[in-house]
Amino acid sequence: MSYLQTKVLSHAQRVRKLYKEALREIYAHYHERAHVRYWCVMLRAKFDEHKNEPDMRKAKQLLLEGERKLQENRHPFPFKFPHSPGGVAYGRHPPTPDWILDTWHPLEKAQYPEYFARRDVRKREFIERWEKKYGKSEDTHHH
Amino acid sequence: MAGLAKCARSLLSAPGVTRCILPRLSAAGLVNYRHNAKQLHSCTVSSQILSLMIPDIQQSFVRTYSGKPPLTIKMVEERVLLVLRLYDKIDPYKLTVESHFMKDLGLDSLDQIEIVMAMEDEFGFEIPDSDADRLMTPKDIVQYVCDKEDVYD
Repeated sequence: MSYLQTKVLSHAQRVRKLYKEALREIYAHYHERAHVRYWCVMLRAKFDEHKNEPDMRKAKQLLLEGERKLQENRHPFPFKFPHSPGGVAYGRHPPTPDWILDTWHPLEKAQYPEYFARRDVRKREFIERWEKKYGKSEDTHHH
Repeated sequence: MAGLAKCARSLLSAPGVTRCILPRLSAAGLVNYRHNAKQLHSCTVSSQILSLMIPDIQQSFVRTYSGKPPLTIKMVEERVLLVLRLYDKIDPYKLTVESHFMKDLGLDSLDQIEIVMAMEDEFGFEIPDSDADRLMTPKDIVQYVCDKEDVYD
């Protein structure tokens, strides 16, 4: 879920995001290490040039300009990590929800006594934390 | 490729080379063709080719089915520290597991982004921005990688 952006990003966060994406663009466009390093250093110099920009309006303008340039120079087939969104193996191994383990038969659970003993303790602590924060749950038909 | 075929033909005609190992040999040759291309073209004696290829056969027939070797916490830590030591803005003598990138090592936020990207390349998965903001010490990175790769104990 951490791929989903749920909050408004601050200026510094947007600059960092722009820098990272611009670096990845360079990796996508150039393959020789020397070329990649050259353009990375040039990019870094561009960012460092306006490192201590006192005028916030100008900083904002520079950021928007950078984002526009990034969008204009997007690579058609950039490298994506296999398990990140857009990658070849994205969603290949969906995480099993934890409540599945609650549906196990006691005999099955008995095969892993240590794990389930620890899990019970953790589950109790989790429920305590939950009830402390949100109050008692009225719904009893949970798994 | 033609050179390889010629070598294979000369091998076939050479006495003492049994036919049963040849298909495997040629397959290994195809896999390692790029690495051995220069040596193959320059050498003509089949025994030299054999001595070149035989150690490679054993290496190339290990199949991992795109799996990775299992990680341990110690291995993750060593790899993280190695990547950091090779980063030119970090003094390797000052670096410890606990040292803070900005407070102790004097890096700025863009350097930290570069470090996170180096870790992505090292371990082969993407670290989203919201998580990357929290990775400020090598210890944090080790913990994060272990959580993602399901490494414990």
